[in-house]
Amino acid sequence: MAFALDRRRINGPEDSFPPSFDLDASQWKLGDPRKDRSPADIRSIFLQPGLISQANGSAYIETAKTKIACAVYGPRQSKNTTYSEMGRLNVEVKFTPFSCVRRRAPMRDAEDRSIAVAIHQALVSSVRLELLPKSTIDIFITIIESDGLEGCVASGSVAASTALADAGIELLGLVTSCAASVVGKEIWLDPTEEEARLAKGTVVVACMPALQKITSIWQAGETKVAEALACMDACQEKCTEIHSVVAQALLESAKI
Amino acid sequence: MASISTSKAEISYIRTGLLSNPPLRADGRGLHDFRTISLETGVAPLANGSAHLNIGKNPHDGGGGTEVLAAAKLEVENVDGHGDGVNGGRIVCTVSCSPSAYPHLSAPALDDLQQDMSTLLHQTLAHPSLHPPNLGILAGKKSWLLNLDCVVLADAGNTYDALFMAARAALWDCKVPRTRAVEYKASSAAPGAKVLASGEMDVDVGRDIEAQQSGFDTRSIARAVDFELPDYWDEGEVLGGSDRWPVCVTLNIAAPPPSSSSTAPCVHYLDALPQEEAATPLRLLLVFSFPPSSSSNLQAMRILGSGELESNQIRDFVASGEQYGQKIWNALNGKLKEEDVRRGQKARDRFARR
Repeated sequence: MAFALDRRRINGPEDSFPPSFDLDASQWKLGDPRKDRSPADIRSIFLQPGLISQANGSAYIETAKTKIACAVYGPRQSKNTTYSEMGRLNVEVKFTPFSCVRRRAPMRDAEDRSIAVAIHQALVSSVRLELLPKSTIDIFITIIESDGLEGCVASGSVAASTALADAGIELLGLVTSCAASVVGKEIWLDPTEEEARLAKGTVVVACMPALQKITSIWQAGETKVAEALACMDACQEKCTEIHSVVAQALLESAKI
Repeated sequence: MASISTSKAEISYIRTGLLSNPPLRADGRGLHDFRTISLETGVAPLANGSAHLNIGKNPHDGGGGTEVLAAAKLEVENVDGHGDGVNGGRIVCTVSCSPSAYPHLSAPALDDLQQDMSTLLHQTLAHPSLHPPNLGILAGKKSWLLNLDCVVLADAGNTYDALFMAARAALWDCKVPRTRAVEYKASSAAPGAKVLASGEMDVDVGRDIEAQQSGFDTRSIARAVDFELPDYWDEGEVLGGSDRWPVCVTLNIAAPPPSSSSTAPCVHYLDALPQEEAATPLRLLLVFSFPPSSSSNLQAMRILGSGELESNQIRDFVASGEQYGQKIWNALNGKLKEEDVRRGQKARDRFARR
């Protein structure tokens, strides 16, 4: 870690620890109902396209504690000289140092890339890259506050797709994404970090509701096959609702 | 993934072959046939468990094929809140790709590739649901860190299946050294006991319960401060949950090109060659575990590559993937048991005959 230390900024202590609070008296036990919302509810979404004026397209999404800003630059000429017939989609994800409970040093690490890969997978088949030879579309995603990996992947995909539409890049359809987790016998949609920790397994689905096509599935943990498929269906249904939120947000920003 | 340069004509040739009826593949296999797999365990003498796996070795000269080496190595880690150590131990999986397996990739691209493979392997195998029960040493003090390192020595397609099979074999083979807790105690407790030079003596936990009880000491903290290894270094108990480590099935999906007007349905095939991987970029990765008493578990599912699927297609793919997974699972278990016998019973017999 020390080899990449940036001396121009205040690096902070080498290791830091989040304060630990006294545990809540009302601990959740297996079999209890979900706190705060019903299993099939997702957190309310605030979505605003076009906040970053410098970028060709941008979007800001907020679902409870998850806050993500996304900017799209391009299509612009690829920097490397090799000819490519298809355009390239380049996704970069950054966590702000204060985005998680434990401070993240301002450097690229492994988790950034795994989220970027998941978002790339969700988006790549929706963008008409065959129309953009020799060019690159750069998507920069900044996670300002994170509440679980699954939520970041799902909200990041929605924000990126909105930003792509805001940039006027030709798409086959808007991509929306939703996460689900299997807790006990129930399926909880859009889990928070704490709920994902309680879960046996989690599924993140990205799809294009307008075409009824699934572009990405990301499943981890132990689930029965039937449970995973049930999660997929539940997510797909919710994605249709999120699609209308995205369409509404884009319509409103286009009117101004 | 590994995009070796394949011309458009070649891509269309391979795709047409896969979609034709009956399907045609370059090496004459059926769509759902695997190449031959060879496996050997215990190849790395310094690791706690290791395996060497090859898919598609050429039967004539013994060359070619995807080659993966996996080794599990245990390290003792402090659980003190400063490092990453946790009670009950943890698993870290890494994959490194040899540059000789990917001569066409630049160094940063190779880094990205091995990081993607590491992420998938780590997220799947280090998930709490698969955590083995015997990686703890002393609660709150010491635990085992299991490093599972896989090296891709050669890539001739289907790396993910090979990686998971090699990982399962290495973890199956892994032996955790037995440990015994040790605690120190003031010498005044038992006169006549063997007193060490420093004025302390060591007592095994639970041996002298009466001697431990003192009128002043009412704390209920664990008193064991260190551990020792009662065995020789290469013996130990089998890593717990060895029958749960999953296997991976990669379903390569060949769809007719969107521009063509053909109505051929999408087909899936297994164990792709590198050329076939380049021709059909869409893949569905399914990682299954088959516990003996209940129905199968899905441990990971990913769509890789550009392309999209409908939900009923995914249902069909998962259903057929489960059957292939079961076959791989049974064959792998058979081979692993055979390897255990070869290295245990037969080796002893051979030694006795000498």
